[in-house]
Amino acid sequence: MNTAFQRLQHDQRAELLADWLQHLTTTFDRHHAHPSSLDIQREVLFNAILATLAGVPSDDFRLDPESELGRHLSRLIAEQARQLANPADSIGSLLALKSILARALIALDAESPVIDELLWLDRVFDGLSLFAFKSFVDIRERLIAEQSLSLLELSTPVLRVWHQVLLLPLVGVIDTQRARQVTERLLESIAQYEARVTILDLTGVPVLDTSVAQHLMKTIDAARLLGTRIVMTGISPEGAQTLTKLGIRFADVISRATLRAGIAEALLIVGRRIAPLNEERPA
Amino acid sequence: MSEPLDPASLPIRSTLDIVTARHAARELCERLGFGKADQTRLATAVSELARNVIQYAGVGTCLIEDESDAHSRRIQVRIEDQGPGIPNLELALTDGYSTSGGLGAGLPGTRRLTDVFQIESVPGSTRVTIALVKPR
Repeated sequence: MNTAFQRLQHDQRAELLADWLQHLTTTFDRHHAHPSSLDIQREVLFNAILATLAGVPSDDFRLDPESELGRHLSRLIAEQARQLANPADSIGSLLALKSILARALIALDAESPVIDELLWLDRVFDGLSLFAFKSFVDIRERLIAEQSLSLLELSTPVLRVWHQVLLLPLVGVIDTQRARQVTERLLESIAQYEARVTILDLTGVPVLDTSVAQHLMKTIDAARLLGTRIVMTGISPEGAQTLTKLGIRFADVISRATLRAGIAEALLIVGRRIAPLNEERPA
Repeated sequence: MSEPLDPASLPIRSTLDIVTARHAARELCERLGFGKADQTRLATAVSELARNVIQYAGVGTCLIEDESDAHSRRIQVRIEDQGPGIPNLELALTDGYSTSGGLGAGLPGTRRLTDVFQIESVPGSTRVTIALVKPR
């Protein structure tokens, strides 16, 4: 004897699919161009869902990501998440299919009750929705992580202020990865420009704790080995207080409150200064 | 007098959560009318403790509470984890002592940064409570 879902799958597959695609086109795809590949993907997903429903019902449906249905669903969701679609649309399209199937089930046989089938339908779509939601969030999070990685690439410039004077403006969170990257770039630049002074500007570092301090110290030590002097600038009054309370000392590092003072100091070290144009040149 | 603000309980699972936690601490501090130096003090302390959680226990929680009453403004932060615990508290609170090659300034420094500093640690549970207190 065939189950109700097997009968649906056998007799009404094409109609139900057409219903669903029609519904999706009118409800969700209005504002977007509608690639035909999407229809094919949806059809594959539709078939996989029907196949699952036609299988043996279990009390506890949990979608296996490695199953055929799991892979199809996550592929479709991945595409939607990448196109920055609204997550409600992704889940909404699943729920639309659920209501189409529920109606078809009830219409199938007015005589015999289909409660068990409806409950099974419910469990399956609960599982699918949860899965879809989770994959959506996972993908978005991965996208965000990728983006912050590319920000990281951009955020550690080493600037050449003057002959033999470099400026490293640090902005944002200094973690181990970032510190390593900053150190690498700085050392390369010091060697390349034969820098005698490097200004380390900390104005954009939100919190100076022991971990950040330690990273800075290592960077400074390495830079010194290449023969540059370090001028630290931009430590706020609160930051200075906090550092002393923590018991952190930057021994032998020249420090100036502002970048302006730091640049003046750096130029002094290389024997230059900034002077107004009309001032008489020193003999 | 306004109602105490809702406590915020934050998970500490990754270095990103350190940023979230210290940001939340700084924000509540500011809303309670603490000055900039105090905000920095607390944010740094939270940063130290949260980093310890990541480094030694892996995961933990950070609870930030407004404990103000009629006489004083008080912001309290409790950081807990279920990690291996600190075997020798006295040593861990000594300047320059570190089991991880760090500066060894984190815990003793945090104690100096905060007005209230309590630490309990047994294997499987470490809890550090810090607070800033200002008379009204």
